[in-house]
Amino acid sequence: MTAVETRPARRDGVGSVSDRGRGGRSGTRGGPGGAGKVLPTVVLLIGAIYCLVPVAWVFVASSKSPGELFTSFSFAPGTGLGANLAELFTYEGGQYLSWAANSLLYAGVGGVLSTFVSTMAGYALAKYSFPGRDAIFFMILAGVLIPGITLAIPQYILLSEIGLAGGPLSVLLPIIISPFGIYLSRVFAQASVPQEILEASRLDGAGEWRTFRHVVLPIMVPGMVTVFLLQFVGIWNNFLLPFVMLSDEGDFPLTVGLFTLLAKGSGAPALYSLAITGAAVSIVPLVLLVLFLQRFWRLDLISGGIKG
Amino acid sequence: MTSTSTPSRAADGGALRPEVVHPVRTGRAPRPAGRRRVPVAPYLFVAPAVVLFVVFMLVPLLYTIWSSLRAYRIELGTSVLGVRVDRFVGFENYAAVFQDAELLASFGRLAVYGLIAVPLTLGLALLFALLLDVPAVRAKRFSRTAIFIPYAVPGVTAALLWGFMYLPLTSPFSYVTEALGWGPVPFLEGNGLFGSLANIAIWGGVGFNMIIIYTSLRGIPTDIYESARLDGASELQIALRIKVPLVVPALVLTGVFALIGTLQLYGEPNTLRPLTTDITQSWAPLMTIYRDAFLTDDLPSAAASSTVLALGTVLLSALVLGIANRKRSEAAS
Amino acid sequence: MDRTAKRAVALATVLIGGAALTGCAPTGSDGDVVTLDFWGWGTGQKEQVAAFEAEHPDIRVRHTDAGGGDDSAAKLLTSSRAGNAPDVALVEYTTLPALVVAQVPRDVTELVTDIDDDFTEGTWAQTTFGGVVYGVPQDAAPMVMTYRTDVLAAAGQEVPTTWEEFADAARAVHEQDPDAVLASAPGGELALYAGVSAQAGAEWWSVEDGVWTIGIADERSLEVADFFEQLADEGVVDTGPLLSPEYNARVNDGSIAGWIAGIWAPSVLAGVAPDTSGNWAMAPVPQWTPGDTGVPFQGGSAMIVTENSDHPEEAAEFVRWMNASEGGSQSLIDDRLTYPASIVGQELAETGAPPSLMPDQADFWQVAADVSTDVVPVTWGPNVSLAKTVFTDELNAAISRGTPWRDAFVATQEAVVADMEKVGYQVRTSDR
Repeated sequence: MTAVETRPARRDGVGSVSDRGRGGRSGTRGGPGGAGKVLPTVVLLIGAIYCLVPVAWVFVASSKSPGELFTSFSFAPGTGLGANLAELFTYEGGQYLSWAANSLLYAGVGGVLSTFVSTMAGYALAKYSFPGRDAIFFMILAGVLIPGITLAIPQYILLSEIGLAGGPLSVLLPIIISPFGIYLSRVFAQASVPQEILEASRLDGAGEWRTFRHVVLPIMVPGMVTVFLLQFVGIWNNFLLPFVMLSDEGDFPLTVGLFTLLAKGSGAPALYSLAITGAAVSIVPLVLLVLFLQRFWRLDLISGGIKG
Repeated sequence: MTSTSTPSRAADGGALRPEVVHPVRTGRAPRPAGRRRVPVAPYLFVAPAVVLFVVFMLVPLLYTIWSSLRAYRIELGTSVLGVRVDRFVGFENYAAVFQDAELLASFGRLAVYGLIAVPLTLGLALLFALLLDVPAVRAKRFSRTAIFIPYAVPGVTAALLWGFMYLPLTSPFSYVTEALGWGPVPFLEGNGLFGSLANIAIWGGVGFNMIIIYTSLRGIPTDIYESARLDGASELQIALRIKVPLVVPALVLTGVFALIGTLQLYGEPNTLRPLTTDITQSWAPLMTIYRDAFLTDDLPSAAASSTVLALGTVLLSALVLGIANRKRSEAAS
Repeated sequence: MDRTAKRAVALATVLIGGAALTGCAPTGSDGDVVTLDFWGWGTGQKEQVAAFEAEHPDIRVRHTDAGGGDDSAAKLLTSSRAGNAPDVALVEYTTLPALVVAQVPRDVTELVTDIDDDFTEGTWAQTTFGGVVYGVPQDAAPMVMTYRTDVLAAAGQEVPTTWEEFADAARAVHEQDPDAVLASAPGGELALYAGVSAQAGAEWWSVEDGVWTIGIADERSLEVADFFEQLADEGVVDTGPLLSPEYNARVNDGSIAGWIAGIWAPSVLAGVAPDTSGNWAMAPVPQWTPGDTGVPFQGGSAMIVTENSDHPEEAAEFVRWMNASEGGSQSLIDDRLTYPASIVGQELAETGAPPSLMPDQADFWQVAADVSTDVVPVTWGPNVSLAKTVFTDELNAAISRGTPWRDAFVATQEAVVADMEKVGYQVRTSDR
């Protein structure tokens, strides 16, 4: 264990010795105080580069023409970006854009609906006491443990009985239920909705729904935004459900569409380029989402639920 | 906003005690007295979720279990190929699951994969979270954002990207090693697969878990550190002795999710299959289940394997949570 | 009921009602126009469908690409179980028996009696089981050898006509250029080995009087295994997966100098390596015995009418036109780039230009027609996809571990037999 450094600790709390976090035990890196600042930063930057490398690769690779893809060095930019993009957006009469629109539809509408369902359920589970409450909560939580593949075919058969299978609704309906979203909403409701406000509202004569709409919802907005964002990303990135449910290529979201392109690509290498360009373009919206909406990611919710 | 850490309130969930609500003083007609005991409202609020859950999770699950007790048999009718009928066979499918050497081997592979992926994902997430929390660190926002970016990439796409990074023809790593005369890096061969597949999961999971742990860290009041620093403790000691124990709940939660994710491994090996002959159709248990359910049209076998997998997941998660809870009450006592 | 509850009920009613109403996509007759749902993959589908609609104003066809052969067979099984299958679907010959067992295709014996003369007996047998016709063959895929003329010439070799000559040619090519191979024998190509074994006299699945005989590991098949293993050990055939990026690169640089596959191979190669056009030619697949002419099929698909379909007559008309009419066959050649299974289609093909890969081989279609006359039927059974996955995994393992390829064939046979017995068939293994 590193010897305790007896340098006077500065008031602003700057550490005096290199912080190796979990890994480092190899003692005497002490030396000049500069090492304490540099090493954490360096390690983080290495992590950052590791995380960005494939993303960088796909953007570079999408600039290569099909001929250059397998012949030039991975990170050397190619000359085909414009051509690739044109090819991508005109493939099968604009099918890529349909896929993008579908992804937006499923993630957007599905996300909104899921947020509302989760918020209502989370609120009720957190702020009311009623028979069966805990049972319902644990039952819903247990849903996380069931592998999606297991449910896919029975869900498909079920939806067929109602006559909905094969169309967009067969994707939209199952994704509304989100055990994780309900869990988060419950945590947030517990943490942010004071009992007093509820009781005051009831005393004023408001019904439960009014209370919910005018008192609770505004408070829960930050949590709801987080749940929505998580759902949006989750649905956007979902592959298996739409893959099983949808039969018409025009209804595919980006994940399934790209997978199909790649599968076809083995017989037609030009499609590899298309799939790579398509993957690159498909990453952009979500990356932007993550970048610009960072302050809305109230992920402290997740850890908030596990304290005490 | 009430703080999160008031255990007593959280424990009883802010119970609404109907009998305490006074009759309304405005002119509004009071609700019928009989309603007080069992409020309707909460049931209505949870109704959509419950209905959806029952329809899309419970019923399919029950169907799966029912299906797992049946099997397809052939009746030779007039058709030379026979006609398929559905028969009740009890636990035969389950017996087959436990006798299926290939399936058991796939669980073995999953174990190796998990032993690499889970500790590394959590370890790196913890490391980065702790590093972000070091006061002197620079480029915090950039690093945090960059490390979170993989979360925005769907699993299948991530596997695609890394697949091309592994493929000797397009891999920058193999490019370098070949230039040095060492030949291509065996990412996609034999035992290299475990690391390669684990890497994809680690890459995708570190960011999200890091943020969870980091926000948990941010919730720790800084005066705890002040006294430690005044005593002369180094950052490393503070990290190991104070911070890590305080984020153990976050670690446990992310650990359980990582565990569940491991058991349900499917997308990454499946996407890489066309690129290497060393990934069989039944490399991971869920791939076998997919094959049975969709390719060989043997839904009952898939159902039995799924049920076993789900049960295993439940048991394992309960085990981990149980151990974590026990450790916590030991530490508290 | 209090206000909250009332609102909830109203909301629920609206939601459920709305869901129910938006669900149904009308399929069927609208007045006199019948609409059919058709699942088919591959290039040129839309064009061929449009050509059909032009000649049939009272039938509309809604085409969907549900994925390649295995994917769409899987979707057919699932959707059929749910009562949701399309009216017509394209299916590979290898998947047809499994679909029949699952009662996906309709018995169309009565609906297509008029066209069985349009196909050779061997071809028609691909879609008939026990006298019942379950589909109409669409394309014929006789095995041929597609090879680089320049590479063969550089090695001083004549075009091989027997497998022994082929082995010698492959060795010579490899000696001339150590990177070059004359063909690929990868683990994932069950159909290749099935075809070559059938050519040697093996029958992998056959049924008589309700008893199935499995011959995947009979003597002739094992000899085929040994034959290719020998060549692979010598390095004169390649064992890597087909159409991977590595494979494509090697085709482009000439180190993959040949492919033993169905007659669709040239168009695939043209897509992979267009710059090598003009350097290739097609020859009949080598024979085991000099003078033999039997040629097995590798691949190929048929169209079925599903049991689900509400419009079997119109669907059968669609199937007939697409696969056995002049208009349909011409479209198969021009738009779909496939070699028709029907006799009229093959005659039409003979008048066309050779594929882009070998623009100078004027007799291409003549040769194609010749090799299609003596078809060696490759019979498939009800569990081909199981066989495929086991075979691929076992053979790949044998290749990478260096263990005998025979073992893979034996393991596959054992798995196939066990699976069929478990399900209730009467099975025996071949003693040939």
